[in-house]
Amino acid sequence: MIEFIPYILSQIAQPFNLVLLVCATVIGLIFGAIPGLSGTLAVMLFMPLTYSMQAGPAVIFLIALWVGGCSGSFIGSVLLGIPGSASSVATCWDGYPMAQSGKAGKALAIGMVASFLGTFFSALFAALLSQKIADVAFAMGPWEYFSLCFVAITMVLAISKGNMFKGLASAAVGLLFASVGFSPIDAEARFVFDNMYLMSGLGMTVVLIGIFGVARIVEEYGKGFGALPEVDTKSIKGLGITVVEIMAQGVNIIRSFLIGLGIGFLPGMGAGLSNLVAYSSAKNASKTPEQFGHGCPDGIWASEVSNNAAIGGSMIPMAALGIPGDSTTALLIGALTIHGLEMGPMVFKNSGNVVYLMFATVMVCAIVVLVLQALGMRIIPLILKVPYHFMYPALIIISFVSAYVDSSSLYKCGMMLVFVVIGILMSYGGLPTAPLILAFILGPTLESNMLKSFQYSGTAVTFFTRPISCIFMVVGIACVFSPLIRMIIEKQKKTKA
Amino acid sequence: MKLKRDQLTGAVLVILGIVVFLMTTTFSIPITASYPGPRMLPTIAAFGFVVCGLGIFAESAMSKKEEKQFLAKEGWIRVIVTLIVIAAYITAMTVAGYLIATPIILYVLTTMFAKGSQTTVKARVIFSAAVSVIIFGIYVYAFGLTLPGGMLFG
Repeated sequence: MIEFIPYILSQIAQPFNLVLLVCATVIGLIFGAIPGLSGTLAVMLFMPLTYSMQAGPAVIFLIALWVGGCSGSFIGSVLLGIPGSASSVATCWDGYPMAQSGKAGKALAIGMVASFLGTFFSALFAALLSQKIADVAFAMGPWEYFSLCFVAITMVLAISKGNMFKGLASAAVGLLFASVGFSPIDAEARFVFDNMYLMSGLGMTVVLIGIFGVARIVEEYGKGFGALPEVDTKSIKGLGITVVEIMAQGVNIIRSFLIGLGIGFLPGMGAGLSNLVAYSSAKNASKTPEQFGHGCPDGIWASEVSNNAAIGGSMIPMAALGIPGDSTTALLIGALTIHGLEMGPMVFKNSGNVVYLMFATVMVCAIVVLVLQALGMRIIPLILKVPYHFMYPALIIISFVSAYVDSSSLYKCGMMLVFVVIGILMSYGGLPTAPLILAFILGPTLESNMLKSFQYSGTAVTFFTRPISCIFMVVGIACVFSPLIRMIIEKQKKTKA
Repeated sequence: MKLKRDQLTGAVLVILGIVVFLMTTTFSIPITASYPGPRMLPTIAAFGFVVCGLGIFAESAMSKKEEKQFLAKEGWIRVIVTLIVIAAYITAMTVAGYLIATPIILYVLTTMFAKGSQTTVKARVIFSAAVSVIIFGIYVYAFGLTLPGGMLFG
């Protein structure tokens, strides 16, 4: 690891890369702060910009977008009571009441420091642990990789609220999209209709931006934009937080950090879940749980430390196993492949310098975000006042430009329009988005490992005779049926009551 | 009897599943117990569509909950008009290129999206031109990528 420090310094200290890092962090912050947008969308939209870059600057740019997005999501939660993304839902519960009681500055300051602590130290942990996990991963065969991908997809189903069938249907859509083009190993043309643009499969940019970016904007417009939110910046005066106050939260911070790191590490899960778990843990452990939900600082600390700690947590399986911790890392795995970085245990041998650059970038970004937020405490909330009628058309244009840049073909723009329609229809049908992302991105890995497994052993039984694979398979199957099991348990409880 | 939204979703998924399954039967390599081949993944998807479609349909049929309206009639009109404008944008880029098509479509979109809010024509014109130029500058000059030149100028 130490041998890569000169490379990391040479990359981050380059003026162009530094400008790239700051700009991407700011863009990420903006996307994270505005409800409806997210760091994930920022990564999707701006990913094609990296096509002409070398691996180093591309990694810096994409990681900075991601970290900025994660760190900015608490701004909307605190000032509007609307989370910037799912990772800051729990922040709303205490951040907004705190801001309403005239302590917006303090709530924002807690968010800033908590985000910094979560991001910085989780990346440090990721840097220290990933290589060791990658070493263990060398012992894994295609059976284990298949079952890991299976778990990653099914875990999202297990935590998705509402209808289990809809979550599964969304994953099936993702698998169908992943099937388009030549199949791995056998090179059978599937669903290509003699169209040369479909031979190499559906592009990630086209599918994901179409369904999750443009479709959502068009749908929002269909529903009609509400009035712009009132943002109170007058009560933001200074940081309003002391070292003593931070130290007093020590236990809460460590607990939330470990929850975030652990949940982030689990394939398919991420900040969206960790903030809720950390919040309820903080509430359960508190001597004054009745204060939660009424502007209690502990709630903001728990939520923000944990959702940012999930960044480092999700980077571990991403780098060491090539398995995404959440939908953004799934995107990053796809984006980095374009730059010749095939995530997984071999990446430490082949491109160790770039992997450690990734971890270092997260840490540098955490510092940059902290500085930017501290300096721009009165300005950053103004992001929330950008009128929708200016912001959304600009995003639509950037989306279609990204589709064009993806392959220098306007055909891809037309294809994206098709996916916009599919996205709207999926939303009409109430199909969730996360299972589709994971199934679409993991589909090729899942399939190629499944086929390799059968080539080696000639039977499906091996998935259950190899211990690690068997554990993953059992967990995955349990996840598929978990909503059903939950429903039965709840019904039984109701009947007993 | 009026079909509920979820019932429609379920029915569409079942039909989609059947269509996908039928398409997989045209693949040359068959599924066997010792090697599932390229038919396996789309077959899993097709199976998923049918099972989930039936599940969603049945749940909706048994549920007594009122469904929330997804979009009002005016909302659907707005969605369709936006899709037409985007299609026109792609066509315009093909013919006239990015630099001509983008400011025009941006102006159209901002005007559509701004309905009911207070913005001036001047602000929308300046915004449309500025954003088009900024995006062009970033993609072409900062990152060395190309944007559509259009058949007229290409």
